[in-house]
Amino acid sequence: MLYTELLAIAVFLITYALIIDERIHRAVAAMAGAAVIVFTQIVPWEKIPEYLDLGTIFLLMGMMIIVNTARKSGLFEYIAIRTAKLANGSPIKVLILFSIVTAVVSAFLDNVTTVLLLTPMLLYIAKLMKLNPVPFLLSEIFASNVGGAATLIGDPPNIMIASASGLTFNDFLMTMGPIVLVDMVIMLGMLYLIYGKGLRVRPEEQQKIVQTIGALDERAAILDRSLFTKSVVTILLVVFLFFIHSSLGLEPAIIALTGAAIILLWSRVQPDEILERIEWPALFFFGGLFIIVGALVETGLISQIAGFVISHVHTTGEAMILIAWFAAIASAIVDNIPLTATLIPLIQDMGMAMDIKPLWWALSLGACLGGNGTAIAASANVVVIGIAEREGISISFMEFLKMGMLILFVTVGVGVGMLLLFFGW
Amino acid sequence: MGYFTSLIQRKFKDVAGTRYDTVMKEYREFLLTEEERKVPEVRSILMPLDYFVKEVPSVLYDTLSSYEGATVSLVYIIDLEVIRIVEDSLNADTVAEFKRKREAYGEEILRKTTADLERAGLPVKSRMFSGSKFENIAEVAESHDLIAVSKKYAASLTEVAAVSPVTLRLAQTVAKPIIIY
Repeated sequence: MLYTELLAIAVFLITYALIIDERIHRAVAAMAGAAVIVFTQIVPWEKIPEYLDLGTIFLLMGMMIIVNTARKSGLFEYIAIRTAKLANGSPIKVLILFSIVTAVVSAFLDNVTTVLLLTPMLLYIAKLMKLNPVPFLLSEIFASNVGGAATLIGDPPNIMIASASGLTFNDFLMTMGPIVLVDMVIMLGMLYLIYGKGLRVRPEEQQKIVQTIGALDERAAILDRSLFTKSVVTILLVVFLFFIHSSLGLEPAIIALTGAAIILLWSRVQPDEILERIEWPALFFFGGLFIIVGALVETGLISQIAGFVISHVHTTGEAMILIAWFAAIASAIVDNIPLTATLIPLIQDMGMAMDIKPLWWALSLGACLGGNGTAIAASANVVVIGIAEREGISISFMEFLKMGMLILFVTVGVGVGMLLLFFGW
Repeated sequence: MGYFTSLIQRKFKDVAGTRYDTVMKEYREFLLTEEERKVPEVRSILMPLDYFVKEVPSVLYDTLSSYEGATVSLVYIIDLEVIRIVEDSLNADTVAEFKRKREAYGEEILRKTTADLERAGLPVKSRMFSGSKFENIAEVAESHDLIAVSKKYAASLTEVAAVSPVTLRLAQTVAKPIIIY
């Protein structure tokens, strides 16, 4: 093995280890790894634009601007209060409604912002009901990861897959949408069967809860009524444009950046205030990862692995099963973003031997739903567990693992079955 | 702290950053705290009155009537210090006239307030005496669960002071829930 190949593998593995352990910020770990790759010229300077996936980076950036501007209006708190009121003090309704709202919002906006804004309200209601908040928190995490799988913009792995494959927003909705719908029903059914007995309150308690939640004024959560309206209109417009982006011949990133420009122009919010709130570390994290994975492509390692896989896999169906399960289990251990970044060039290389379109769905399914496997598998998990810990609620690694793995195996199993039905063996 | 907990904290810090603190600050604007949600058990309410309290708003009776079974102690105080000053500077007949007028006013407001409170379904005990408007009330408040005091108590209001200094001091020093009307 060549020196450059060994170095590319070492940088890749060390960066992965640093990302898992996070003693060093993941963005710093990815940037340091990328610096070594560029410094040693494993990826030559002129090839950096080829590996730096600007489609993903600009789409994330545009959506971050839209979400951060909308957040200033109190839109998410408004949604949280309305959902709480709709539940009418019933624990089962709280679990189901919050899961549905989380899944829908996660399908169109980023998962971290969604859970960051809905979890405090969920904890508040669980405290009012004097119930164990863990089932509510777990359902929120699972719903966020499952819901995010439904659309092109729902989860970073889908954004990366779309950018690499050219699949459209409607392609994702038509293929992943039905799978997500079935998985959501199954996931909620499982949570009901497992936790349902404990989710009961006495009628007089329920009355008190309804009164307390009824006293919350969702209109008071709206900090800026004009910005609220403009945010809702812009988000709806952006979602509409995503539906027709392929007909317009526009990349999804262009839609997101256009939406960002519209909301900034229309709302007259100070741009420096919003641009400061862009999650720059996340964008640099992506940038660094693309270069590190680019080194594996550049040295031919990805081609060798792809060749090995092709020689052992005989049909597209077999490849789908392999990729979906590998992505799911690996995503449960490693963050799904670096995993997807690594598997994308591998699938592209496999394109020489088979139809790879079904494989993109298998990767999306595994990478997104694999996020439910462990407490550290996806950012939404970390955020919800982190908030819970700050509120004195502990969810142990094993407690999460038991439920997470069960949800992972069932939802991925169902998803793979549906993909085989859609695309055949 | 176990490895898992510290790992989650590290990852949380990197992913959520300071956004969580901002979100919690926004939520605190409209979500009641656990302490705020608790309705204190109120069996006795102290309601100080004096010459400056000209009327009690009807909304206060509605509020107090929600404390079912609570007894209201109406206390009308004539400032002893004022009486001493009057005694030092005026003749005996004028002093007697002053006292009579103050007591008549006291009796009238006690009678009216007692009737209004009883109509709201609250049992009432009332008394009138001369003393210190702050110290005596602070002392009597110890044996009550709630104080309802006018912002005009013990002083007429000015543009500068929207709440009388005595009411403000009661709110700051007495360790009982207080309604300022």
